Amino acid sequence: MTRNSQESTTGWMMTIPALAVVGTFSLYPALDSFLLSLHRIYLGLPTIGQPYIGLQNYTMLMQDPVAQQAFLVTFGFVLLSTTLEVLLGLSIALVIHETFSGRGWVRAAILIPWAIPTVVASQMWRFIFNDQYGLANLLLFGDQVSNYVPWLASPTWAFLAIVAADVWKTASFAGLLILAGLQVIPDELYDAARLDGATAWQRFRHITLPLIKPALLIALLFRTIDAFRVFDLVFVMTQGGPGDATQVIQFYGYKTLFTEGQMGYGASISIAVFLTLLLLSVLYVRTIGTTLFQREPA
Amino acid sequence: MIKNFTIVFCIFCVPIIPISTSSASETAHTVLRFVTWKADNPKIWDAAIARFETAYPSITIEREIAPHSSTAYHDLLTQKLKSHDTAMDVFFMDVVWPAEFAMAGWVLPLDDRFSVSEQKKFLSATIQAGTYRHRIYSVPSRIDSGMLYYRKDLLQKYGFDPPQTWGALVIQADTILKGEQPTHPALRGYSGQFKQYEGLVCNMLEFVGSHNGLFLSKDGTRSTLTSPDAIQALTFVRKHIIQRLATPAGLTHQEPESLAIFVQGHAVFHRNWPYAWKMANNARYSKIVGNVGVTLLPHFPNGQSVATLGGWLYGISAYSNHPQEAWTFIRFMTSPQMQKYFALQASLAPSRTALYSDTEILTANPQFQDLFPVFQTARPRPQTPIYPIVSNILQRYFSRVLAFPHIDPFQEASITDHQINHYLELVQSTPQ
Repeated sequence: MTRNSQESTTGWMMTIPALAVVGTFSLYPALDSFLLSLHRIYLGLPTIGQPYIGLQNYTMLMQDPVAQQAFLVTFGFVLLSTTLEVLLGLSIALVIHETFSGRGWVRAAILIPWAIPTVVASQMWRFIFNDQYGLANLLLFGDQVSNYVPWLASPTWAFLAIVAADVWKTASFAGLLILAGLQVIPDELYDAARLDGATAWQRFRHITLPLIKPALLIALLFRTIDAFRVFDLVFVMTQGGPGDATQVIQFYGYKTLFTEGQMGYGASISIAVFLTLLLLSVLYVRTIGTTLFQREPA
Repeated sequence: MIKNFTIVFCIFCVPIIPISTSSASETAHTVLRFVTWKADNPKIWDAAIARFETAYPSITIEREIAPHSSTAYHDLLTQKLKSHDTAMDVFFMDVVWPAEFAMAGWVLPLDDRFSVSEQKKFLSATIQAGTYRHRIYSVPSRIDSGMLYYRKDLLQKYGFDPPQTWGALVIQADTILKGEQPTHPALRGYSGQFKQYEGLVCNMLEFVGSHNGLFLSKDGTRSTLTSPDAIQALTFVRKHIIQRLATPAGLTHQEPESLAIFVQGHAVFHRNWPYAWKMANNARYSKIVGNVGVTLLPHFPNGQSVATLGGWLYGISAYSNHPQEAWTFIRFMTSPQMQKYFALQASLAPSRTALYSDTEILTANPQFQDLFPVFQTARPRPQTPIYPIVSNILQRYFSRVLAFPHIDPFQEASITDHQINHYLELVQSTPQ
């Protein structure tokens, strides 16, 4: 008994540093943001004080057409970019999984976009889509200057440009995760399938795909969470424009908090993002959990 | 080793010595902390401050240099003011901040020191920008405002005088494009700042204002974007400027991008601030040196030219322990002599009217002759303590109407009026 309780004391002692770090840097700020979101605070109007207003910021958020649109844009962005990233990532993974000369170099090269800081990559893509000296126009139209398209001036194209930049930047990360999944599939399975006369497609469909499902789901989970928090691409490439067409929720939250000084309302946006992400993660983790569990008996 | 140490020691000592010796020798010595942004021409500022310290040996200026970006500078200032920092005495305010700072009680009212007769010696818009609820909070350091740049050579070639109205500008641009585009396909009629950011509000204020329209009612209590004048001006911009003369590419332009088009010779007309004059006449950047004209922005038949006011104002912190010395400093820096110094050395446009008839200044800056009438038409942006919120709503409104050709401006305007009024009511409800 004493030994047990002594052990548990030691255990607690050893986890205290970790708990303190998590408490100070994650739990406390999160709780503080939540408290902020229950007050009406305008930095420009200190004389109104900081009255407690319960959930009013949240009811305001539900009715705010700008926030609704920002959520829609964000969901559209997440859906489109993660789908493309996982598909492209899968193709990348299949290619770099094969043995060929120079594979090491190709693997390294494919990771370059992912290693570039997002702000730098965003600036690069902003130049690529520039209407006058951008690479996109040069490749498409050559010296036909009058045909040049101002990509970032069109609401639809600007949105797609941000998706393209994100896909370019992070597909290789998804590919890396999927490659890890591919590498644990034993070669014997493929050999046996070949003996049975399975075509390449059949081998992919019935061996590869089911076995990399967990890796695919993990790639999806990471990319979804990350895509939902997109900020830097929008900040550098479009500032949310034109006409809010690329205003994602994190950028709206940033503007509300830092440029407008609406501390309470801005905090409620952050909390809403946090809750959405939490919900998404729980859904994913449960799905992944079941798949892993189902695999075990086999 | 010792040598190294001496060097390091000297490096650290040099800036300290003058301060410590002077404070030791004087009994009533004051150190004033001036929070300013990183200047484009630091040497000119160093010399200006040295002049002040020579004239007032009992005051030393200690400068704290903040980031160049207006937003980052605002963050730093408000952080200090929120924490009632007594170390900061004097600071610069962007022309859109006085209402906010006054409402928060951060900046000292100057009515006792800055008399009305003295205020009258400055360009009226710069005084108006520093006034909130009938009190004055700042002294203008200089003036900035929107203006129309044009290609003298092209206008001459087609026999045009600079356009007085927006309608004339469209006709001139159309004629010139028709003649030039076959050999110069990249040429466009107009370049301005229409990206979704603060500059969009500045550009639109000029269109709406010169159509006799206002963003907010005169007393600042209501948003008036649904007024026919405001709607017609916006519809004009969408139809003639964005969809034709500037091309939709204008929706991605801030100052640098739009200026680049103009100095490369790809635009007939260009809207910008005074700094563009020097750039457009600098052969290192510009292909149109000597072919640049500058004048008032055009107006609509029922209105008068309006130029959005920009620039920086001196204010005294409400928490300063040395307001009197701070005032001495501001009075010195905004004196006719010092404004003349800045005009000659850095081409900063003076905020004092009298200096526009100073021959020395006009010889060094001939463009001031043309700019003076422009500065007299300058108009501040809406003066409200929640300007950042109002500005973001305005940016969204204008950008949406300009970028989506099918949006009904009136319907969008009534939604926007409603949103802005919600916040203005909040300001109304606060104690004065």
